[in-house]
Amino acid sequence: MTNRERRNLRNGLLFILPWVAGFAAFIAYPLGASIYFSLCDYSVLKAPIYIGGANYQELATDPIFWESMGNTLFFAMLFLPLSTGLAISLALLLNTGVRGMAAYRTIFFLPSLTPMVASGILWMWMLNGEYGVVNHALNYLLRPFGVEAPTWLQSTTWAKPAIVLMSLWGVGYAVVIYLAALQDVPLQLYEAADLDGARWHSKVRHITLPLLSPAIFFNVVMGLITALQIFALPYVLTNGAGGPGRSTTFYAMYLYNCAFRYLRMGYACAMAWILFLIILGLTLVIHRASRRHVFYAGG
Amino acid sequence: MPAADAMTSHEAARQIARRRRRAWSCSLAIHGLLLCGGFLFLFPLAWMISTSLKPLDQTMRMPPQWIPDPIQWKNYLEAVRYIPFFTYARNTLVIAVLGTLGTILSSAIVAYGFARIEWKGRDKVFLVLLATMMVPFPVTMVPMYAVFRELHWIGTYRPLWVPAWFGASAFNVFLLRQFFMTIPRDLSDAACIDGCSELGIFWRVVAPLSRPALAVIALFHFLYCWNDFLGPLIYLINQDTFTLALGLQFYQSRQGGTPWNLLMAASTLVVTPIIALFFFTQRTFIQGITMSGLKG
Amino acid sequence: MLPAVSRPVFAFGAGCLALLVCGCQVLVPQSQDEYVNGRIRITYWEKWTGFEGEAIKRVVDHFNQIQDRIYVDLITMSQIDQKALIAIAGGDPPDLVGLWSSGLPSFAEKQALMPLAPFMEKAGMSRDDFIKVYIDVNCYRGELYGLPTTPATTALHWNKRMFREAGLDPDRPPRTLAELDEMAAKLTKYDGQGHLVQLGFSPAEPGWWPWGWGFWFGGQLFKDDEIAFDSPENLAAFRWIASYTNRYGAEELRRFQSGFSGNFASPQNAFFSERVAMVMQGVWLANFIHQYAPKLEWAAAPFPSAAPGMENVTIADCDSISIPVGAHHPDEAFEFIRYLCSQEGLEMLCMAQQKFTPLKNVSPAFVENHPNEYIRLFIDLASSPNACHTPDLSIWFEYSDEITAAFDMVLFGLDTPEHAVAQVQQRVSAIWKRAKESIERREKAEGKVAR
Repeated sequence: MTNRERRNLRNGLLFILPWVAGFAAFIAYPLGASIYFSLCDYSVLKAPIYIGGANYQELATDPIFWESMGNTLFFAMLFLPLSTGLAISLALLLNTGVRGMAAYRTIFFLPSLTPMVASGILWMWMLNGEYGVVNHALNYLLRPFGVEAPTWLQSTTWAKPAIVLMSLWGVGYAVVIYLAALQDVPLQLYEAADLDGARWHSKVRHITLPLLSPAIFFNVVMGLITALQIFALPYVLTNGAGGPGRSTTFYAMYLYNCAFRYLRMGYACAMAWILFLIILGLTLVIHRASRRHVFYAGG
Repeated sequence: MPAADAMTSHEAARQIARRRRRAWSCSLAIHGLLLCGGFLFLFPLAWMISTSLKPLDQTMRMPPQWIPDPIQWKNYLEAVRYIPFFTYARNTLVIAVLGTLGTILSSAIVAYGFARIEWKGRDKVFLVLLATMMVPFPVTMVPMYAVFRELHWIGTYRPLWVPAWFGASAFNVFLLRQFFMTIPRDLSDAACIDGCSELGIFWRVVAPLSRPALAVIALFHFLYCWNDFLGPLIYLINQDTFTLALGLQFYQSRQGGTPWNLLMAASTLVVTPIIALFFFTQRTFIQGITMSGLKG
Repeated sequence: MLPAVSRPVFAFGAGCLALLVCGCQVLVPQSQDEYVNGRIRITYWEKWTGFEGEAIKRVVDHFNQIQDRIYVDLITMSQIDQKALIAIAGGDPPDLVGLWSSGLPSFAEKQALMPLAPFMEKAGMSRDDFIKVYIDVNCYRGELYGLPTTPATTALHWNKRMFREAGLDPDRPPRTLAELDEMAAKLTKYDGQGHLVQLGFSPAEPGWWPWGWGFWFGGQLFKDDEIAFDSPENLAAFRWIASYTNRYGAEELRRFQSGFSGNFASPQNAFFSERVAMVMQGVWLANFIHQYAPKLEWAAAPFPSAAPGMENVTIADCDSISIPVGAHHPDEAFEFIRYLCSQEGLEMLCMAQQKFTPLKNVSPAFVENHPNEYIRLFIDLASSPNACHTPDLSIWFEYSDEITAAFDMVLFGLDTPEHAVAQVQQRVSAIWKRAKESIERREKAEGKVAR
């Protein structure tokens, strides 16, 4: 190594020292411990006993594990496209330079500021099958056609879509990011397209979206990581039960219950590391796909 | 150009009028959609405020009543008396401020190390940092508790704000790193030529330019601390030290019946400071995200 | 070579440093003290808020007043099971913790709670002072790990006015389950579009004991150290549940049901708003009726059973108080338990919470002055030989969650009773087998260490 490289190495390490210093206590030990626990029979109250890969083997045949995985993937696959679409659409609308943009922006961002307890309860009411305002409105539209609004959280089919709906409410954070990104798209590109007689939808398709792709990439990865770990909202709504009939038993909730309700922390750690691998895998896949589709304007 | 020349003035006027009408109807449509969206987004919050002003037996009435009759302002007084509201608010503020300060300082320093200095193995170590975001929290809860127990920090606020001083928030480091990478090299090179050390460049050149980005992570972390429920639940013991998020739980009783109107009043009070904070720092906040290079 | 700093930045930095120092010192709670004014300080974590919280606070305050050796610090905790778990595992638990009786076996099995027998012997208390079922429910493998504080039993509650309207004798409750079904049918009404507007009865209202219906058919949950869910009695119970789905339609029931969720303590409660005529509910219901539906004409009686000759079947559970392993002052902690579980302490607590006491001896004034008109019924039900409770099983939560899921599926018409019951049996047996292996493994490991 040259002198310069050595100096850079020293400086680099010095700068990340706070993280490195905390690493042992706040990162390495908890992560290492949880890997070890995943190979143990550990109930938190008693010392862990090594059992090798037995937890992982048991997971493979655990019907609730598979069901919770299915529920979580269903949620993620429903939520991600909808939230991306909604966020981009809202950002596009806000970017048209309408008056009162700051106010609209605040309004769309507000929901992500509410504490989970309050917003969970709020939505539980609003989505109530009998007296919730949502169904009150929906039934006005649907009853003439002989269709009833669904019972949302009391229905095994509609509970997950209800949770998707509630999660979409917090989309404001992504809108803000897209909006900021949109404002950086060079106007000349639009003007050139105008000269060529392009309509607004092809402008969106060929200019806006490609230039927005880094932001989309970021939000999709972040969204995936959070969607696959969804826990607080369904927990508050079903009081940890994951009902009705296990339809809202998501992966992280089952993990949490295994750890703190059934006192099977080792089993929960095994689940956590499987989830970690899945998230890592999916992130890498998206990253690879992004090479083809994400366009960095800076070059 | 030939096409335009070929247009008569009459046709040109018509085209301009058509464009103006389209612009008007476009604008109208956009406003309409935004109003719709805004209404749907505000709806639950409006409902929350409406419920917070109702007497308890009216909270669940169907069809839903928007303007409560009578408007019970005293719900707010009762809500702050039901739990030691202001004590909890003060506690939450302490944790949030200390945590936010720590996060700004440590994330900036750590991100700088990952962004502005080229050193061997940097990107690999950064991937490790990113990977730590992907581990579900329940499994690190118990070992973390063990760590804090050894340090005798259980029952104090330290587990809630000290990790922030060690760059524990991978997300913030990520964000700031992206941002730092957009600052032109020439600026730091110029400072280097002037004889500045790395630390000097950081303090004098990069940090001042990063104010908006720092504002972003400050706001995010503050918000996180304000609403954090699990952390205080696990680490705090003495009831006087509880935070607002924990306090909200006390309105819910298993068989004692929940005073919904008081809970909504308390929730409104908890949300309001954050909304105000966001409202006033909006511009800096948006600026920060704009410049954070997330788009490129 | 520190970079030069401007004055405002310096001031800001100094301010932050000061705040930091403050955060480390002053605002750190100091009250981890062992002694308060020369008294031994014991911590007591309880889950109760609202009026229930007031009730226990009164007892604690009274205890602190009448003696000067011990000071009980009552702390209200939400998520008390989880909090207790972490604290006990972490080695600094409270001296007293108030858990639910259904959660005791899993803690007891992991030896997280202290057996109370030695303390009781020293204090001259006897198990026989308490109603048997509440001792049973606090035992694990014969050892007592908690004492009951506020007990409960369940019974049939019915709406007299609706009975009269439907042409039924308002003072005559159904005596068998078949009768109940008949009367329920008479009490059910539809509107013009075929939607339910009034329901006689539904097993899902309130649906708090999906695991308990087998008891009224003579079924059991756990027998001879084996999971006993797949039995003709439990199957009959699930068939009975399915009969309600078949009669009223899964979708319709669900729609009607959804109107009640989250509404327990409000005038919109199914029973209070007179949309359901009969419910199985607990001793606490009277209190809520007085608060939210004072004009309701109601009565209570034992919930009828399907098994002939089985009378006075009820579900008995309670809130308990225990001493976690690792408590700093277990003897002083038990002093408080002894006061709390005396007739005086329990009557103070249970009267304020509007329940009955778990003691066999009850002062006549307690029964007379009790706001629940039917308190005598609930007390008698607790002493019934058919008072059933959650099993003495460390994997109870897993078992209960499986049953709840099966119950939902059958109620929504998504599964047949046969398949649901068989599935619960199969799954929970596997869980129990694995749990037994785990217990053995642990005992071996600890045996090795002890040697």
